[in-house]
Amino acid sequence: MRKDKKLILLKELLLTDDRALIGALNLKINTLESIIEQREKLSQKVDPLIDLKLQEYTNDIPKKLGPMITESLKNEILKSKNQVVDALYPIIGKMIKKYIQQEFKILSDKINHQLKKRFSIASFLRLFKSKFMGVDEESLMLQELAKTAIQEIFIIEKKSGLLKANFSKTTTIDKEVISAMLTAIKSFVEEAFITGEEHLEAIEYGLYNIHIQNFESYYIAVVIHGVYDTIYKSKLKSKLLDFSANNISNTTNTNLAEKLAEVFKNGII
Amino acid sequence: MVSSKKVVLLGHFGVGKSSIIRKFVNNEFSSDYKVSIGVHILKKEVQLSNNDSVSIIIWDMEGTDSLTLINKVYLLGTHSFIYVYDVTRPLTFKSLSQDIISLKTRFPTSLIKTVGNKVDLLTDIEKEKHQVLFKINDYLSSAKTGENIEQLFQDIAIELKH
Ligand SMILES: Nc1nc2c(ncn2[C@@H]2O[C@H](COP(=O)(O)OP(=O)(O)OP(=O)(O)O)[C@@H](O)[C@H]2O)c(=O)[nH]1
Ligand SMILES: [Mg+2]
Repeated sequence: MRKDKKLILLKELLLTDDRALIGALNLKINTLESIIEQREKLSQKVDPLIDLKLQEYTNDIPKKLGPMITESLKNEILKSKNQVVDALYPIIGKMIKKYIQQEFKILSDKINHQLKKRFSIASFLRLFKSKFMGVDEESLMLQELAKTAIQEIFIIEKKSGLLKANFSKTTTIDKEVISAMLTAIKSFVEEAFITGEEHLEAIEYGLYNIHIQNFESYYIAVVIHGVYDTIYKSKLKSKLLDFSANNISNTTNTNLAEKLAEVFKNGII
Repeated sequence: MVSSKKVVLLGHFGVGKSSIIRKFVNNEFSSDYKVSIGVHILKKEVQLSNNDSVSIIIWDMEGTDSLTLINKVYLLGTHSFIYVYDVTRPLTFKSLSQDIISLKTRFPTSLIKTVGNKVDLLTDIEKEKHQVLFKINDYLSSAKTGENIEQLFQDIAIELKH
């Protein structure tokens, strides 16, 4: 083939293709245009119909589908009881746990009460034990009661949070800073969460309970390790009332700390 | 004999309350700022003479724009207030005189000290100007250099003792 002929052919090829392509594109565009036009025309008519139907359908769902859904849910639950239980377990578990804890507290209070009543039997058993094992009765008794023990007692000025006196089994913590902190916490809680004449009565802190008892110008905070139930609480309350009446109310008592140590010496009430 | 006294630091945000206490109690200073939340309590014993000292229980309050925002129960039974402001930020001493009056009426028996802190950031001339502006019983202090920090607590301890 000659060179210019080749060129003509190439031109033809290229131009033909172009033209064909443009033609095809035009066709496509036209079809699309007409489709869109038709759609628009159609939708003007159809849309309101669809809307109406949809509305009817939505209105009917509860009537028509409600019973069906309930029924199939029932079946599903029946078929897969275990899964449902699994899903609900954590939630119910928490509720049950709370309930059980509460019941346990009541039960343990009851048992403690019973034990108190049957003290004579307990002491008889102890006597028997001590004779049998050769340990003195008192140390056995201490051992039994050691479940609840007083770790610290703070007598604190209400307003300033300054420490008036302290009884302590430890020496590591700074009592004066603790007193101020306790007072800040107490003030904050009473101001923020408690209305009227109520007062913060106890703080739970890990294994410890802090019993708080208010007096006129001061309060007493007792850090307790072990069981802190209603029986113990009431016993401690009257003990502190006694202590206050005998030692704090007569203002000139300078040896409050010594008195505290004397009265609560082994931390057991 | 040791007696204990409650001292409360008040003032706007970031004026250096915690820094002043830190300098006084631990002789430390840091330039990073940790906002205080609630109340923090520290203690330091101030020796007055051989057998005489005062145990200062320091309540470091969170900064506030207004004294009325402070939970008032925290302020009860305070032996001395330290009102701290920042000498470089007028906003922090704008309500100073009003606040002092209000404190005096609410706590008539408490000692009140005002402290202009961060004085290390002022030039000598600025410092003089500032001193003219405020009365003589004020302290100009720096938690950074330690200027007047020891003095402030020493004076409070002596005054509370007598
Ligand atoms: N240069 C200088 N900076 C200081 C001084 N005192 C405190 N600062 C800085 O100021 C910033 C705030 O100090 P803080 O002691 O946290 O202030 P504060 O008053 O306790 O702040 P709040 O607890 O939020 O109210 C920190 O970055 C400190 O390093 C001072 O005397 N000089
Ligand atoms: Mg602070």
